[in-house]
Amino acid sequence: MSDETAAPLAPPQDSRREAVAFLIGAAGWLVPGLGHAILKMWGRAAACFLTVGLLVVFGAGMRGNVFNSNGNDAFDTLGYVADLGAGTFYIVARSLETNGADVSHADGDYGTRFLAAAGVLNLLAALHAYEVARGRKA
Amino acid sequence: MIAAIGLKLSHLQAMLLFALVISIAFGFLGRRQPIDRVKYIIWSLFLFLLIGVGIGWAMYPFSR
Repeated sequence: MSDETAAPLAPPQDSRREAVAFLIGAAGWLVPGLGHAILKMWGRAAACFLTVGLLVVFGAGMRGNVFNSNGNDAFDTLGYVADLGAGTFYIVARSLETNGADVSHADGDYGTRFLAAAGVLNLLAALHAYEVARGRKA
Repeated sequence: MIAAIGLKLSHLQAMLLFALVISIAFGFLGRRQPIDRVKYIIWSLFLFLLIGVGIGWAMYPFSR
């Protein structure tokens, strides 16, 4: 019986490249800009580090809510996932916010959005680094 | 530390800061050439502000 319908196996070089790209994406998630720095894209690396860092510092400075793993509802969980997107900067945000969150004012609400945006932006940057490493983007 | 002091920004200042930072990130991620990045950042910032202020005015009749 012929095996014409079977999918061709990926060459070993492709699977290795895929693994390296995944590691680069993970590095970019852990430390904002590191994925691009490994790829020697210095401008993008600096931009990711600074923009994510600024959003985290301002978000914590405005006493935004840094969500944790034991949220009360789906929105808390979503916020936690978004905040976690900032990688190690999530820990920075927690350590910066020594007085705790205060969302009773507009500042705190904006701070919460800043922190979530930092996480989502970092995920986008990590995904970009992953795609570049795979050779899909320039 | 900035977090210990407690940062106080108006709505407009917070929106401006947010739009500027996100536009810079989009410009660097989305374009390769410096001139293209600058154009993209300015265009993105303009659209952020236009849409932000536009939505603000659209909600104005329902604020009272």
